[in-house]
Amino acid sequence: MVKYIIKRVLQFIPVFLGVTIILFVVKTVVPGDPIKLIAGDKALTPEVELQLRAANDMIETDDNGAIIYDDEGNTIATPIWKQYIHYMSGLLHGDLGTSYTRKQAVTDIFAQKYPYTIKLAIVAIIIEAVVGIGAGMVSAIKRYSFWDVLVTLITSLLVAMPAFWLGMLLQLFFGVWMKDWTGGAFYLPISGASGEFQDWVYYILPAVTLAAVSTAYAARIMRSQLLEVMNQDYIRTAKAKGLSRHDVIVHHALKNALIPVVTYIGIDFGGMLSGAILTETVFNWPGVGYEIYRAITQRDWPIVMGGVTLVVIVVLVINLIVDISYAFLDPRIRFGAPKDQA
Amino acid sequence: MAFESQSIDRRTFVKGGALTASAIALAGCGKKDDTTTATTGSSDGGTLTYFITSPVSIDPFNAQDVYGDMVTYNLFDALTVYDFDKQELKGLAAESWEVNDDASEFTFKIRQGNKFHNGETVDAASFKRSWERTCNPKTTSSPSVVSYNIKLVEGYADVLAGTTTDLAGVTCPDEYTLKVKLSSPFADFPYVCSMAMMGPVPKAALDDFDTYFYAPIGNGPFQMDGKWEDGQHIYLKRYDDYANGDKAKLQNLHFNIQKDVETAYREFQAGTIDIAEVPTAQISDAISQYGKSDDGYTITPSHQCLMGDEPSTYFLTCNVTDPVMGDVHLRHAISLAINRQAICDTLFEGTRNPADGVVAPSCQGYQPGQWADARYDVDAAKAILDQYYPADENGDRGLDLKLSYNMDGSHKQIMESVIADLEAVGLKVDSDTKEFASILQDYDNGTFQFGRLGWMASYPTMDAMMFPLFYTGNGDNTSHYSNPDVDAALLAARATTDESARIDKYREVDALLAEDMPIIPLMFYKHNKVGSSRIKTAYISPMEMTQANHWEVSD
Repeated sequence: MVKYIIKRVLQFIPVFLGVTIILFVVKTVVPGDPIKLIAGDKALTPEVELQLRAANDMIETDDNGAIIYDDEGNTIATPIWKQYIHYMSGLLHGDLGTSYTRKQAVTDIFAQKYPYTIKLAIVAIIIEAVVGIGAGMVSAIKRYSFWDVLVTLITSLLVAMPAFWLGMLLQLFFGVWMKDWTGGAFYLPISGASGEFQDWVYYILPAVTLAAVSTAYAARIMRSQLLEVMNQDYIRTAKAKGLSRHDVIVHHALKNALIPVVTYIGIDFGGMLSGAILTETVFNWPGVGYEIYRAITQRDWPIVMGGVTLVVIVVLVINLIVDISYAFLDPRIRFGAPKDQA
Repeated sequence: MAFESQSIDRRTFVKGGALTASAIALAGCGKKDDTTTATTGSSDGGTLTYFITSPVSIDPFNAQDVYGDMVTYNLFDALTVYDFDKQELKGLAAESWEVNDDASEFTFKIRQGNKFHNGETVDAASFKRSWERTCNPKTTSSPSVVSYNIKLVEGYADVLAGTTTDLAGVTCPDEYTLKVKLSSPFADFPYVCSMAMMGPVPKAALDDFDTYFYAPIGNGPFQMDGKWEDGQHIYLKRYDDYANGDKAKLQNLHFNIQKDVETAYREFQAGTIDIAEVPTAQISDAISQYGKSDDGYTITPSHQCLMGDEPSTYFLTCNVTDPVMGDVHLRHAISLAINRQAICDTLFEGTRNPADGVVAPSCQGYQPGQWADARYDVDAAKAILDQYYPADENGDRGLDLKLSYNMDGSHKQIMESVIADLEAVGLKVDSDTKEFASILQDYDNGTFQFGRLGWMASYPTMDAMMFPLFYTGNGDNTSHYSNPDVDAALLAARATTDESARIDKYREVDALLAEDMPIIPLMFYKHNKVGSSRIKTAYISPMEMTQANHWEVSD
């Protein structure tokens, strides 16, 4: 197991380098000068523009930060490979640069944003796990019943519904219409993460929106897996031995049926921790996804680079944890063991 | 494989679901503190919630955007403030000021007895400290982008270059006297001193940049209540020791940060925001539902929609160095061919006005009909074109024009309307659509023919509209226009201390610009705000930045 983990961690390196190199290439290829956008519609003075370029490693500076000029008095553009080395060097020292538009360190910005994304992801994943697995089980156990049809219908609807649209519908229904219908007695907050309500109330609509589509998929996977497992010979054997229906499902069927569902939910959790751009944007949620979206629209490359770098790390780590969790769910899987024993 | 029916029946499930939904709905009503909500007032002044988008800065160090400035303006008292009603500049933190004969030296007398929110005295040194902090590139890891507003102050270049931290042109002969020496005359400098970025800072601002940036300590009628929660809200509360003017009537002024106008308007409809902007598509409905403000700037019950003029102009910038657009006759013909009123009516439902020059109506010195050819006259346009670009038998005038614009917002529809108007007089126009960053780069490099742009005056004077856009070599002079007569006239106006004589001189400049038309004015912006019915009174100035001392909400 330890060898397997080390091997997987080492595999992070090429993936990580690949992603950051692609980002740097994209940053170079995308037309337009982000520095020009910093002051909005108004022009920067040449001196401030130079300082901003120097501060953002776009032009060469000496060790004291003074701008280097060539023989003709022109500034020297920092080659992209050098910018990349500087960026990686900063990254290893915990420095992701400073935002172009806001005068804040990118690490500080994400330190503020990540807790919101993590908390929203946890609430959403709990909804997804409980409702998704629960609905899938009910659907499978009561196959062809009213409940099965209901679950199938709702999951089909949710899968087909774009998250941002569902979010806007929920906002209208619970935030505006419900308030009108009840004369202001009952309603839910429709944006932000804090304010006049208790903080946890702000999680309801974004978490439901974020979890909706994944919950539908989780329910469908759970249903099909459970139905498949219930047809296996060992289940028939268990029944023939006289085990109760409860024991057959819980101790024999469920554990095996859960493996693909756990994989799905685990990977989904990684995705949620990367910041749900659509959900966070619709609900004005102050998380990583919304921050990256905002940075992309403003061409704030340090935030985009820093955000994507963090997201890559989170996704890689979550995937590793998911893979390791297989071993606990399925005793036949032993990582790093010879193939014939696995 | 089918399984037998289990113990939960449909009725039980439905009942359970209904109970759960009710519990959630009830939970939603559990507010933290009923005395500080936007939906309830209170006898201590109550709370008003104001929509803003995410500001760049609320610290004078980098205050630049309209929304951020609205916050900064309530946290800080700058030296002066412009009274739009009386059309005059008044002292705010300064009780008076004097100017020398050639408008290169200003002496401000700071009002005594004012304190920062931390109890520190507001004196002349606190202004010098603030301006030096803004210019100093070492204040934080990235320099301020608004320091250019004080680039005429002597010593600015040295501080910016990092060779000194002392802004030599600003001195404090005594505790309450601030002397400012400029490197060239600029009679409008006291107007510059009304900007949000010109507010004073206490010594604490120099301690830790990040702490101050997120929770600035100012000298305005409101103080921070907690720190700026990025992407969520900025809460201000009344500063009870405010002595610079009337104490605020509101107990709390909350700025609710939303990502866009549409989301904010939904929140307004839900009752969680008191003042929001109305999406263009909903203007008519909003006016019929909430009523129009009498003066366009003051919200009162049943007169809740603000439609007053702003000092902002939307225009086409023409690259006068381009072989085609360099022709002044063509620029006049294009201007005459565009139906501005139709754009304002159809695309903006009257929330913008056709522009008749570069100087917007709420600016000093505005005169209706200021640019003769900033109007719609197809026959006149055709007459010019027929004279200089006669059409061949196929109707081709031999001109291929390229119009640059970014497609976001409503720019695409505006530009399509412009193109249709130009094609109606026989001009062939291709669209050159790019992202705004690329467009700005093209404007900067002069690699374009003509394209869209907007300009908002930093303070409501004619100079703020003209000097940046038309003085030779200025960064904002995107048309690359250069006219020695205009340059000389602008400098002469800047050195004129008498206000009415100065305005006359700017009007002379305006007349030259009307002939040359380096830009083609299209529209003037207007407010499109709406307030809730619980607002007794709230005045929002044409520039939006307004101190909310006199705002009131009902219980």
